[in-house]
Parts: sequence; structure tokens; C-alpha cells
Amino acid sequence: MRLVRALDRQRWVLTAAVVVSIILIAGALIVFAGADPLLGLQGLVEGVSSSPYRIGEVLVGAVPIGIVALTLIPALRAGVFSVGAEGQIVVGAIFATAAVFAVNRMLDGAAPAPLLWVAGLVAGAVGGGLMALLPAFLAVRWRVNEILSTLLLNYLAAGFLGWTLRTWLATDAETATPQSDELPDAASLPSLIPGTRAHWGILLVVVLAVVFLIWQRSAASTRLSVFASRPKLALRLGATRSRTVYSTMLVSGLGAGVVGWIQVAGVNDRLLSSVSGSVGFSGIAVALLGALAPIGIVAAALFFSALTAGAVGMQSATGTVPSSIAEVIKGVLLMGVACIAAYQRRPAAVVAPAEPVVADVAAEPVAAAEAEEARA
Amino acid sequence: MSVELWVAIIAGALALAAPLVLAGIGEGFVERAGRINLGIEGMMIMGALTGVWAGSLAGPLAGLVAGLLVGLVLAVVMNLLVYRLHANEIVIGLGITMLGLGLSTYLYQLWVPSGQTNVAVATVPRVDLGPLSELPVVGPVLFGQSPLVYLAVVLLVVAWAVMRFTRFGLAVQAVGTDPASAALRGVRVERTGASALLIGGALAGLGGAVITVGTIGSFTPDITAGRGYIVLAVVIMGRSRPIGIALGALLFAFLQSFALLSQSTSLQLPSELYQSLPYLVTLVVLVITSRSQMRRLFKTVRPA
Repeated sequence: MRLVRALDRQRWVLTAAVVVSIILIAGALIVFAGADPLLGLQGLVEGVSSSPYRIGEVLVGAVPIGIVALTLIPALRAGVFSVGAEGQIVVGAIFATAAVFAVNRMLDGAAPAPLLWVAGLVAGAVGGGLMALLPAFLAVRWRVNEILSTLLLNYLAAGFLGWTLRTWLATDAETATPQSDELPDAASLPSLIPGTRAHWGILLVVVLAVVFLIWQRSAASTRLSVFASRPKLALRLGATRSRTVYSTMLVSGLGAGVVGWIQVAGVNDRLLSSVSGSVGFSGIAVALLGALAPIGIVAAALFFSALTAGAVGMQSATGTVPSSIAEVIKGVLLMGVACIAAYQRRPAAVVAPAEPVVADVAAEPVAAAEAEEARA
Repeated sequence: MSVELWVAIIAGALALAAPLVLAGIGEGFVERAGRINLGIEGMMIMGALTGVWAGSLAGPLAGLVAGLLVGLVLAVVMNLLVYRLHANEIVIGLGITMLGLGLSTYLYQLWVPSGQTNVAVATVPRVDLGPLSELPVVGPVLFGQSPLVYLAVVLLVVAWAVMRFTRFGLAVQAVGTDPASAALRGVRVERTGASALLIGGALAGLGGAVITVGTIGSFTPDITAGRGYIVLAVVIMGRSRPIGIALGALLFAFLQSFALLSQSTSLQLPSELYQSLPYLVTLVVLVITSRSQMRRLFKTVRPA
């Protein structure tokens, strides 16, 4: 018991050290830009909360990150490190846009809204899912490293999007940036909070969080954790390598594909070349930041989105601090959380033998989540 | 397509391959030591920025040194977190990449506020090789290059020799193959791994600086455009061996150069196809090498 308490204390010290160093780094960056840190902080708070619209923007920004991170839970738990959300969002968005236009044309522009929503949702999920099955197949069949294959596929998806927006989905109107025609009004997701861009997609995050909360207690979830640390034991529990890789990557692909649809139908009302908006990488960071626990992930997604919105507020308040300060803080935060997670795992690591690098990844946040539960 | 165009494409490929080869040599050491550095992209872009900054103050050579040092500093941080605090290598690598991409943009926007013209610096001067560079075809391809291309070739040979003939090289391979046995034989596992990572970081920073100070002469946010990830793919394709890394880097750079120079001419294919080609071919080669590696693995497990 004493050991546990001592570890607990050390962890709090480490957590405090991470928080303090983030504040110091942020302060130093603001001072380096020749601005007053307190003014910067004020701008940050205003950027997040000064009007209902701003709050709505934070929610809107948290939706794609949250969905990507939530649907990454199974993959990361199993130690399957897919970084392909970026490309899966893109393909999902292309499929969804094409499906909405196709359905609308078939019914001569009189398609009812729910039908267009379902068409977009399903097509987006199919697109993202297909894009995820390819690296899963390569990983299972020929042991192609899934980190590298998904990274490379992201570039191919970007090329496909560029071509799509120049040819078969391009708008006829003169526009500054490549984009598709505007979606029919019925296809766009209705606003959830009047006067903001906050749309019904927010509810999907809540639903997914609940689903994963329940799923976490299931045998399937435990099997994935076992797969990450002891693949042979997992085999006896019925979790073969191919089944695990296919199913977990498919879940993350479906989620990312749906995000593609949501960004088109809920936020932009058209397909833009910036549709993925580097959400893919933030998604992984948020999933790890939230220790692969649904509640933690939702909180982390809100925090990431608030940081982005707040940094814009900071830029306009100080006039000199570039909003890219948010990215720096996110990076430092991710590293800090990785250090804290390692501290929780240490006692177990003494007992467990060394594990392969990739399998090791999920073990930490899982241990973190388990420690949380044990304390509760 | 004319001969001149092919000459230009191949000469361009060698120039584009230099940063990939430099960073790849470093990552080769890291992966031979059984580790992986997903922070290469962040280290490269920080090297690219500081390269231009130092280059504008004290000339291109200072820029290269500054890039190398920044990569080294980031590798020290990464090593500290991974070895001292036992944080996960992959997560820290992603964190370093996020940090590098964000910080380089932040500092650049402070240095060159939007609306101002970008800072351009002198690039590393070419050495005049006299009549050699005037030879047809071979001249521009082999003797008209930036000295950094020759530096990459020299380092490639050095890396091969170090890996093959020195105590350190053997230690790196021993640690990568079987850390427990290596430790029993008196190899300092942590120190060897740390040295490999520091070499990897320094060369990634240098590679980044080569992109800006070597050829372009200025920085723009996201200038590395995923080259760090390509380096990772190239090293895995080349099985961490210098010659394999060089071939992989040349393949990618050749396709990139081809895309840059030939999309304006003939063929009428969509430009996106040209731009995607390097990534597509890299993926295909990755699949082929992974497949043959897997076959070999099975052969050793079940002797026929």
C-alpha cells in the first residue's frame, strides 16, 4: 500500500510538473512574441467564451476530433497504430458528397432531408471503411507496417481529393479555392444551438461515448488489451491477428468516414480541399490524452478545440502572437501525458518482460485507464 | 521526351534525394539499434527553419550547422523522455513532430509577419568542377550538383564503414538484435541506443537544413511536406542498410523530380497523378519488401 501511495504522490508531482512546464513554455512563447502573457491569457479566454457563437465553434471543432479519437479506442487498445484518419476522412467526405448529389438528382431535387442524411452518413462510412481495410489487408497479408502504409495512403487520398475537386465534383461557379457545388439545403445538418454553427453531429459524439463506455466493460475490449500485450494468450481467447487488425481498423475507418460526411454536411455545406483539417493527427493525440477512456477523450477533444479557438482569440487580442502557438502546446501536452502514463505503468513493467514496440503503445493508456478505475 | 529533359529529371532527383539520404542514414542507425524515431518530420522542419535563420545571419555553412544542432537538441529531449522517464517512443515521436511543425510555423510567423516578403538566403555555392561539368549527360548529372549531394554520398560510405567495421557499429547491431545478450556481453545498451538516436536527430536536422539552405534558399511553413515519413518508409524498405536507404531515397526523389518536370509536357495525365506517384510507388515497394521479409522470416522458422 505504501508503495502505491508513494507512486501516487510521485505521479501528482509529475502531473504538476507537466502543467507548470506547459504554462511556462506558453508564457515564454508569448513574451518572445513581444506580448503581455496576461493579455494573451485574456484573449485566450475571450476566444473561447465571449459569445455563444464562440462556444458553438469550440463544440463544432471538438466533434471531428472526438469521433476520430473515440473510434480509435479499439485499434490503440490492441496496439494497432493507424495514422490514416486523415485520408479516411477525405475519402469519406468524397463518397458522402457524391452520394448526396446522386440521391438528390435521382429524386429531381426533391429528396427529403432524412434520406439525404442517411445517404451521406452511409456513403461516408463506406468510404472511410474501405480506406481503412486496405492498410489492414496489407498488414495482415504481408505484414506491412500500418503506421507507414496509412501515412502514405493519406497522401494518395489528398491527391484523389485534388483531382475530384478539379474534375467530377468541381463546381461550375468561379471560386478562389477548388470546391464542389453547394449541397442541397435539405442535406445539411440542422443547427443544434440557434445562432451558432453547432450542429446535430454533437449528439453523435455523445452516443459514441456512451457506446464505448459500455463496450469497455465487454469481453471483446479485454481481448484487445490481451492481444496488445500477449498475442498468444489472445489467440486462445479467440482474438486472431487478422480478425483483430481488420475489425479495429474498420471501426476507426468508419468513424473517420462519418467525420468526412459531418464536415461536409454540418460545417462547410460543400466539399473543400481542406476538409480533413489535420484532424487525423489531433485525433490520435486526443485518444492518448484521454487515456483511451471515453469521458477522458470527450474532455480532451473539447480542450484541443478550445485551445485552437482560444489561440485565434489570443492572436487578435495581442496582435503579435501567431495562433500556431496552439500546435506547440498540443505537442508538449502529448509528450507530457506520455511521461505521466509511463509512470503509472512502471510497477507492472518490472514484472512484465519487454514487449515489441508497437504492441507497447496501447498498454500504457490502458494501464492508465485501469488505474483510474481502481481509484474510483 | 527529349534527352535534355531526362538529364534534368535525373539531376533534379539527385538533389531531391540528398536530404532524404542524410536523414535516412541517421534513422538507419536508430532502427538498427531497435528503436524508431517518429519525430523525424518535426526535427527536419525545425532544421529547415533554423537553417534559413542562421544562414541569413552568417551564411549557408552556419545554416547547416544550426540545422544539425537543432535536430540534436530535439533528439536529446526525445532521448530524455523515452529513456529517463520511460515514455512511449511512438507517442513521444508524434509529439516531437507536432511540436516541430507548430513551433517552426510560430517562429516563422514572428520572424516574417504575414504581408512581408519572405527572407531569402544564399544557398550553398556550387563547386566549379571545370571541364567535368561540361561533359554531355554525365556532366550535369554527376558533376553539376550541390556539394551537399557529395556530402550525402560521403556520409553514406562513412555510415556503411562505421556499421561494418567499428566497435560502435557492432554494438548498435547487437543492441538492436538482442538487447539482453548485448548487455551480458558488456555493451551499454542505453548509451548505444541514445547515441544512435542523437545521430539520427542531428542528421534529420541537417537534412531539413539541406532542403532550405541547400536548394530553395527560403522557408515556408510545412516545407518538408511529409518527407520525414518518407524517410521512415525508405529506411524500412532499405532494411536500415546504407545502400538500401540510398536506393529507396533515389527512387522516391526520381519520381518526385519526374512529377515536377514532366507534368507540363506530354502525356495529358492529371497532375495529381504525377504528384501522387512517388507515394504510390513507395507504398508498392514497401509492400514488396515487407512480403519478401515475411517469407524469409517463415523460412527461418520452418526450415524446408
